[in-house]
Amino acid sequence: MAEMAKAGEETDEVRERLEVYVGKQMSPGALAPDPVNRPMIRHWVDALDDRNPVYEDEAFAASTRHGGLVAPPAMLQAWTMPRPKIEGIAERGGAPDEMAYDNPIIALDEAGYVGTLATNSELEFDRYLRPGDHLEITTEVESISNRKKTSLGKGYFLTWITTYRSAGEVVGRQLFRVFKFDPSTIGAAS
Amino acid sequence: MSAPESLKGSELKVGDALPDFDLPVTSTVIVAGAIASRDFMPVHHDAEYARSQGAPDMFMNILTTNGYVSRFVTDWAGPEAMVRKIAIRLGAPAVPGKMLRFSGEVTSLAEESGEVVVEVAMRAANELGDHATGTVTLSLPR
Repeated sequence: MAEMAKAGEETDEVRERLEVYVGKQMSPGALAPDPVNRPMIRHWVDALDDRNPVYEDEAFAASTRHGGLVAPPAMLQAWTMPRPKIEGIAERGGAPDEMAYDNPIIALDEAGYVGTLATNSELEFDRYLRPGDHLEITTEVESISNRKKTSLGKGYFLTWITTYRSAGEVVGRQLFRVFKFDPSTIGAAS
Repeated sequence: MSAPESLKGSELKVGDALPDFDLPVTSTVIVAGAIASRDFMPVHHDAEYARSQGAPDMFMNILTTNGYVSRFVTDWAGPEAMVRKIAIRLGAPAVPGKMLRFSGEVTSLAEESGEVVVEVAMRAANELGDHATGTVTLSLPR
């Protein structure tokens, strides 16, 4: 059905159907369940044994160019993780809650590309967050590749960008790329 | 706790190596990071479930990997460092019982309005291969 565009890359009708998602919102915008706060920072620095004093020592942090306590920058995404519905989470493949919003992940799952492998993460921090910042996110589909053949079988690279704002100010963004693949095509000749 | 020193950007040279950091990855390390990052996906706490999904064992989530990458760099640079960007490519999973070694070196230095922007090429690898490779951008006082 698909013609070879170039080695290992094909164009096909599934990809054509996915075109409507490119440049569109991937999910409804969301407000973080909690503002940036010291207890969650403490949980994080204990879990990762990160003893940078600017995260916990108020007097020391004030003496640095941070000018006061700041949150670990890599916590950016942690603040906006949705509240999980634990019951049934394994059956949902780990999704914190039912995904109701029409997006390319669901479209690819339905087309048989149920495998997901994260390949890239790029976090950018325009400034450090402080206790009290309350993050809001919007997420946009940046690109969807043509179908590619890899050692995991055939699939599509899907890239999205999440923008983080506090009181309307952009404070950071994350580019995330996954390979959505059809596990039944692993090792397939073509 | 005595205040740790920070590096000055003017003291650095391209090619400077960061001290290696060895993380003995255990189930507890993985679960602690997953829960602190509020990631309840079963692959990050349930070994049997992870194996049913084709993984060798439960494995570290990406938020935790990013957290350790940040820690690796700021443990070296000190508390005056400001991390601007963490860009990584993800590879082999970080699983219990396999030591994860972080290594890195300075690849570029640029003066910018009173501070120095430092790029560090980093790698976190275990015996399965490269878990994460990429670039961290941070700024330091001159």
